[in-house]
Amino acid sequence: MHSLIQGVILGVLTGGVYALMASGQTLIFGVMKVLNLAQGAMVILSAYLAYQLHSSFGIDPFAAIPITTAGMFLLGVTVEVLFLRPLRREDRAELSLLVTFAIALLLEGVMSLVWKTNYRSIDTSYANGSWTVFGYQITLVRLWAFLMSAGALGLLYLLLNKTRFGRAVRATVQNPESARLLGVESTRVSAFGFGLGAATAAAAGSVYGLLYAFYPGSHYDLISLLLSIIILGGLGSIGGAIIGALVVATSSAIVASTVSAAWSPMAFFAVLIVVLLVRPRGLFGTAARGAI
Amino acid sequence: MARAAVFFALLASLPSFNLAHWVLNLLVFTLMYAVMSSAWNLLGGFTGYPSLGHAAFFGVGAYAVALWFKHHAITSGYEPFVVLPMIGLFAAVLGIPIAAIAMRTRFDVFAIVTITLLFVAQTLAFNLRGLTGGAQGISITVAPFSPAMFERPFYYVLLALLGLAMGITFLTMRSKLGLSLAAVRADEDKARGIGVRVTGVKLLVFAVSVGLTAMVGAVWAYYESFIYPQFAIDPLITIAIVLMTFLGGRGTLWGPVLGAGILEGAQQLFAYWLGGSQVYLIAYAAVFLVIMLLLPRGILPTIQDRIRRRRRRGTVNAAAVPPALPLAEVTVGGGAA
Amino acid sequence: MSVCKRLWPRLLAGAAGVLALAVTGCAAAGAGGGGAGAGSGPLVIGASVSLTGDFADSGQAVERGYQLWADTVNAHGGLLGHKVQIKIVDDLSSPSQVISNYETLISQAHVSLVFGPFSSLLTVPASQVAKRYGYAFLEPAGGGPSVFAQKLPNLFFVQPAASVQSGDVFANWVLSLPPAQRPKTAAYAELDDPFSAPIAESIRAKFEAAGIKTVFKQVYPAETQDLSPVMAGVAAARPDVLVGGTQNQDAYAQVKALVQLKISPKFVYLSNGANSPQQFPEKVGIGNTAGIMSSADWFPGSTATGSAAFTAAYIKKYGGTAQQIDPSSAEAFACGQLLQEVAQKTGKIDNATIVKTLHSGTWPTLLGTLSWNANGQPNGQFSLVQWQHGTLIPVYPAGISRAAPMYPKPGWGG
Repeated sequence: MHSLIQGVILGVLTGGVYALMASGQTLIFGVMKVLNLAQGAMVILSAYLAYQLHSSFGIDPFAAIPITTAGMFLLGVTVEVLFLRPLRREDRAELSLLVTFAIALLLEGVMSLVWKTNYRSIDTSYANGSWTVFGYQITLVRLWAFLMSAGALGLLYLLLNKTRFGRAVRATVQNPESARLLGVESTRVSAFGFGLGAATAAAAGSVYGLLYAFYPGSHYDLISLLLSIIILGGLGSIGGAIIGALVVATSSAIVASTVSAAWSPMAFFAVLIVVLLVRPRGLFGTAARGAI
Repeated sequence: MARAAVFFALLASLPSFNLAHWVLNLLVFTLMYAVMSSAWNLLGGFTGYPSLGHAAFFGVGAYAVALWFKHHAITSGYEPFVVLPMIGLFAAVLGIPIAAIAMRTRFDVFAIVTITLLFVAQTLAFNLRGLTGGAQGISITVAPFSPAMFERPFYYVLLALLGLAMGITFLTMRSKLGLSLAAVRADEDKARGIGVRVTGVKLLVFAVSVGLTAMVGAVWAYYESFIYPQFAIDPLITIAIVLMTFLGGRGTLWGPVLGAGILEGAQQLFAYWLGGSQVYLIAYAAVFLVIMLLLPRGILPTIQDRIRRRRRRGTVNAAAVPPALPLAEVTVGGGAA
Repeated sequence: MSVCKRLWPRLLAGAAGVLALAVTGCAAAGAGGGGAGAGSGPLVIGASVSLTGDFADSGQAVERGYQLWADTVNAHGGLLGHKVQIKIVDDLSSPSQVISNYETLISQAHVSLVFGPFSSLLTVPASQVAKRYGYAFLEPAGGGPSVFAQKLPNLFFVQPAASVQSGDVFANWVLSLPPAQRPKTAAYAELDDPFSAPIAESIRAKFEAAGIKTVFKQVYPAETQDLSPVMAGVAAARPDVLVGGTQNQDAYAQVKALVQLKISPKFVYLSNGANSPQQFPEKVGIGNTAGIMSSADWFPGSTATGSAAFTAAYIKKYGGTAQQIDPSSAEAFACGQLLQEVAQKTGKIDNATIVKTLHSGTWPTLLGTLSWNANGQPNGQFSLVQWQHGTLIPVYPAGISRAAPMYPKPGWGG
């Protein structure tokens, strides 16, 4: 029982960070109908940036978030303009998958060139700290990361619901044609939407390095996890991504704590398959392209 | 078909030219990818279901041959080749229930489901230690062919598999099945509405596609003589065959073969000469992007289009009649035939 | 159909291309190299090393070791009068590429000799290629059981013992203690890969035979980022000794998790990671290293044959300190040392001679004295090293130890 609850605690804390990454990915899909296979690579790139800022200037990874977020937003916009916009509309569906994957490879190559391929992690003085609450261990960095993710998701919510830009994004997600008819500039929304997705990756990536060791190839594991999460939650639904992330992280952590770490990846695969059999559009997805 | 006959005759005669081993080795790997790309093309190109998980079945074939010979003593160096059809059939049958679940989704979701399938297969390969040897890997008897002729049996078997794959593709393109697939790719619901047996057709194509892929996996395992789960079930294999098919031209007969020929050779040679410089991955990604942006339909269809347009411009009086627009590439037989 | 017709020129062009390739291939075809002939041309040694991909870190260390040896031996007149050239190509940490690389090195570049790649995963397929062409295969980094199961006569694993036995020295030391001081209970946290788990299992077999009870055992997959659940299980079992079958990253994670859980077993052994003189204290905090044990074949300050010269030359060429030298470089260097010794003993340096000579006798290297059985498996044992006062030193067996082993392990923080 103890390990079960410990697993739940760990899962929830980890799930918060994954929720942040996944929300950006599902947002990009909602706005552009593009599956961004480079999301994982963007997270790792931000982790490297945070690592560099920490080792060269002593900037704490949490404090580095504004810097990395701004930087990755610009990167996201650039990527969209250079590589996704030129795709003709008919081809976009099929090619965007491969284009974003090529971008992931490109980022991986650049990271390997600059930082070499050995594992890095961000080691701060508080990295090993933990609280023991009612006999359950809560690692400090995970707690701060969770709180930061929750805060970032809150900001995202405010952005999408209380600003004009946010309204334009939501309109584009719901019905691109009508949105355009009403004067929403779809190209700008696409570019900024992609940038926003990259920015969420940045926020999560800055703290990723505190939690895990990483190297340029880490994005493969990450992207498969993120894709499963957004399918589970429903493509295009941010709320779904959050719930999906929590479900996935918690089920993995529970299996790891109670059964064996070897089978924990299977836990969420099983969840995913069951959901797809029963409800192919995911928990909160609309009948978007690709789902029935 | 004359062209195909010349092509295969040429390839079949190559080993007799006493080529250097490294060249034959390169050709062996190129043929592997040519077969897999053609097989993927059936599902991703003709039917419009881009599977990103084919490497899982590559691994199934690899482990199948290893496990078969764990329990049946090997009698001759050619025996692994003899069991190939059985392995292909096994993978095809295994693929049917998987397809039944996976193909309830379309396009993007299908792609993700197949990626997930890939990682599930990899996890199973690692965890089912009693069956697969887990992370320790599993060995296959080393092929007893003489060093001078080592690559040849593999070469010929793969050439035969390529013939099989292309033969299947050709027959599909010319038949009612091909029409059904084109209809499914264009608009699945309407196809179902007009009476196309959509589910049956999808399952059949999936099964054939993965069966061929598994056979290549088995040949590869025999060539390597030892397999580990992370290499037998490797996402990079899927990416490579998808890229090759896209480069050559989806939905065409020769496209995947052309793509494999160009990319596999380039990839191995780049790695050998450029590898250590860390620029390799960047160069690979750059090639990828250039292909996507400049040749979104692939080499063969782009060339066909250009020639068709040039021919039309030549036969039409520009002043009198506006040039006809090229027909959309949905018709069967739009590929080289 | 008319569309078919103009495919002909394309196909002919393609066929011509293939033929051209074939003809150049013909010209280059011929038997592979056998050994350095008479004359003073350079002796080219080929090696496929993982310069990119998953094994890149260690692969690059191996490259440095090979290159350093070549420079060292050339400064002393070369090998039997020939200047040594190492031709290194990248295998992207891929077994398909490693096969192609050795095929190309042998049948196109016609290298005289070859050295092995990094990791058993790549060594197994590569050694088959070498065997086909009759090349000796000195390899510094493929010591898993699958390598020796091939029963290759031309293969030599250049390390003191097979990888899965690298932990036996710890078991031997523990069992050499008086029974009252030995641990009574043991926990095993093992990484699922061809080496780490087997190392821990080999220790477990010895411990259980001697009556040390196993109170916890778990094998975790390679990509596991979060070892807290596993280590929580270890902590709950309150073992006297923790045996970690680890690589580097998970070793750091295991220690960090134990620190966070505030559990400090009396004996801690980690098969890898803790033998990294530079990284380990950086990752877990130098105060937490005290008393942790690991195995090593080479460590800074080793007094084995050629080690001091190797260390000095390495620092001169690559900079840094002795603590930053990756043992993979030393293992690679040892391959070269063996070639020198064969040349000195027999006056010849071709593949057949190397294979024949190395199978008998003992050979001193900077890894200690090496010898092999018929399958290329080394007959020696690793050294047990321990962190004491912030430095990694050998503590067992007595012949090479520089201090007595410290036990029980002090608590976290020093």
